Amino acid sequence: MRRRVVITGMGAITPLGHSPAELYHAQLEGRTGVGPVSLFNARAFPTNFAAQVKNFDLGGYVRDPQRWENSGVNTRFALAAAHQALSDADLLDHNKIDPARIGVYLGSGEGIQDFDHLIPLVAHTYLKETNQMNAVAFSEGGLKKFHAGREYEQELHTTTGHVAGYFGLEGPNYNCLTACAASSQAIGEAAEIIRSGDTDLMLTGGSHSMIHPLGVTGFNLLTALSTRNQDPTKASRPFDFQRDGFVLGEGAGMIILEDLEHAQRRHATIYAELTGYGSTGDAYRVTDSHPDGRGAIACIRAAIADAGLKPADIGYINAHGTSTQVNDKVETVAIKNVFGEAAYQTPVSSSKSMLGHLIAAAGAVELITCVMAIRENTLPPTINYEFPDPECDLDYIPNTARSKRINHALSNSFGFGGQNISLVVSRFQK
Amino acid sequence: MSSSSRRVVITGIGIVNPIGLDAASFWDSLSRGQSGIRAVETFDASGLPSRIAGEIRDFDAKNYIEKKDRKSLRLMARAIQLAVAAAQLAIDDSKVDKDKLDPTRFGVEFGAGLLPTELEELGAASQASVNCQPGSVDLEQWGKQGLGCIPPLWMLKYLPNMLACHVSIFHNAQGPNNTITEGDVAGLLALGESYRIIKRDQADFFLVGGADGRVNPLSMVRQCLFGHLSQRNESPESAVRPFDRGRDGWVISEGSGVLVLEEANHALARGARIYAEIVGFGAAFDRDTSGRGLARAIRTALKHAGIGPGDVDHVNAHGLSSIKSDAWESRALLEVFGSLPQPVPVFAPKSYFGNLSAGGSPTELAASLLGMEHGLVPATLNYTEPDPACPVNVIRSTQPMTKDYFIKIAFTEMGQCAVAVCKRWK
Repeated sequence: MRRRVVITGMGAITPLGHSPAELYHAQLEGRTGVGPVSLFNARAFPTNFAAQVKNFDLGGYVRDPQRWENSGVNTRFALAAAHQALSDADLLDHNKIDPARIGVYLGSGEGIQDFDHLIPLVAHTYLKETNQMNAVAFSEGGLKKFHAGREYEQELHTTTGHVAGYFGLEGPNYNCLTACAASSQAIGEAAEIIRSGDTDLMLTGGSHSMIHPLGVTGFNLLTALSTRNQDPTKASRPFDFQRDGFVLGEGAGMIILEDLEHAQRRHATIYAELTGYGSTGDAYRVTDSHPDGRGAIACIRAAIADAGLKPADIGYINAHGTSTQVNDKVETVAIKNVFGEAAYQTPVSSSKSMLGHLIAAAGAVELITCVMAIRENTLPPTINYEFPDPECDLDYIPNTARSKRINHALSNSFGFGGQNISLVVSRFQK
Repeated sequence: MSSSSRRVVITGIGIVNPIGLDAASFWDSLSRGQSGIRAVETFDASGLPSRIAGEIRDFDAKNYIEKKDRKSLRLMARAIQLAVAAAQLAIDDSKVDKDKLDPTRFGVEFGAGLLPTELEELGAASQASVNCQPGSVDLEQWGKQGLGCIPPLWMLKYLPNMLACHVSIFHNAQGPNNTITEGDVAGLLALGESYRIIKRDQADFFLVGGADGRVNPLSMVRQCLFGHLSQRNESPESAVRPFDRGRDGWVISEGSGVLVLEEANHALARGARIYAEIVGFGAAFDRDTSGRGLARAIRTALKHAGIGPGDVDHVNAHGLSSIKSDAWESRALLEVFGSLPQPVPVFAPKSYFGNLSAGGSPTELAASLLGMEHGLVPATLNYTEPDPACPVNVIRSTQPMTKDYFIKIAFTEMGQCAVAVCKRWK
């Protein structure tokens, strides 16, 4: 019998609020977190709006916030969400728990490149005629202009390192970065580390922001973002016929996963059980997902089977639902393939219609939404749903939250490049 | 680790490294004591305090990739090209018939780091956006003009998950696909996770590895700023001196190491050559860099393997050649192995080719696997004067491998640690 893994703590820093309850209730009200970009001057970018985190103060969560003044928001959001999740699980002063039995597995993104120093230096050391860099001038300039601390904090292992170091979590420490699937994959693999017996507890989830000049530049060049600049709050419209791309969001979501018996022994509050995990690769193209949803289908199937369930047992699907033409169509195809006729009786919604796309952190925040939906018996809507797309013909919970008691929810995350992750979370039953 | 009876073996090695462009030439350099550290040649490094590196010269990814796939090379940063090449070599070495593999049971997992942007690609955009006042970027100009000067698929070239993505596409691997981004321990954590995935019956065949490509101005400036690189510019071959009293820092290197992991019965059924069995894995966070966390990871791995410290033939060390981290590693080794009557031999493969970061541990593990094939543990280069802060038994000359187990250690300067135990296949 494999070990059962339950969720005993949650934390969230998001464009819709700074706790799981705020995040969830804002979604039930159908609120949007999208607005003009204020983090930098994006007026002349093809996309000038995003879902930003508002009024964030790290000092509300850690004693000495100035210690992380060189860190990107990826680390700052992560510390705050981790504090919430650990506090919620009553683990902040874990005197009775061996810290070596608490691990960390995040799907967190990179820190933010120092655009204001890098770009002028490149401009002055690039030789247009030969399309080459003056490496000596660049090196000398970089050594003078770049800030060592801020450069270091861009490294991909610093977020998990800071979180483990600050909170004293001495178990296995991982970070994966599989684009939009990262934090879901982290949660799935973290559960497997508990099942393997190596730890009893894992802090897991993700944190990311790509709302910075090079991030928006990259996605704009790929034409992946919505360019509905005249009406940003309507821009994220998953499954709607007029969708034209995703909207960047930012934030962090963290949960505590715990071995069931361990949780029961210490009388922890059990929010839900993580019952299913599926992980596949598309092996198709780096630019597109497989048109028939091959990898997505296999991954949804694997997650439901891992939970010991049938598709008809799933009461709600929190879709990847990015609001791009291709994702929403292929995800619909995949759901219909796995669920058959039951697809039309299974409500599906996209939190991204309100939150935007938190990239690496998206899956964790969406899983938290599923846990809240199971506990509060109400499913969040897909907002901005106005014009049905004949190719997307499922029940997307249009615009208004819905009361429904469910026992099992499925959360999908599909990464750019072809990593597919599905998680099943279930009402806890002894 | 679990009650699973599934066993995991290593059946292929792919190496693209400063000391060899395949496993055989890599072993040849190891057995001859040939260092791969030189003065940097690919760009003029005279503006940097550290001007040496483990560079791969004469690497052309086209030589490793089928013709139909070559157009995707323009979407690959250096580290990705190194990774797809090493993956191809690992598949070739495993002699697997890919048509007979179940693609849904074929996984890919890589360790990767930040992939530095090629600065030329931002050159025109940068110049279009800084013309008003020196030192600041006009974001309106960037949005209007600059952005359009950058290649449309620019971002895809630098996403860390693209190593595993391209490899999965080339080899039609539709099983689990992950990318671990934990600095110098990333590749070993990827190996540990793949080992768990095969054990728990979610895959039978895995390409596991890591790669890094940091011999370029941007990466080297950043690492120079962090201040831990060797500045032994006048004698590059003796710059990496793990555990030696005269060490002054580590050396940047580029390359990739990829291993084929396979469920044992799957490997036996196809008559595969088996290099070794993975029998234990442990990971931990060494919070105060005291060595206690690393010692715990070692003990966990030995426990999973069902062996004691005395069963270990040699330690394949992280051995970075950093003043602080070699002492830290020594404390951990002393804690686990210190009570043995004979001190455990320590082999530090970075002494040959420097620090490949995310690509390091799979490459270094391969050095001991090849050693097992030849019955030998290579010498550690440049170990001339013991350091009282590093009281470990560093192997100075090639010696026979007499016991059936070795361990591979890797960790980051922040404290993320991992340890794998490999066993001779009988």
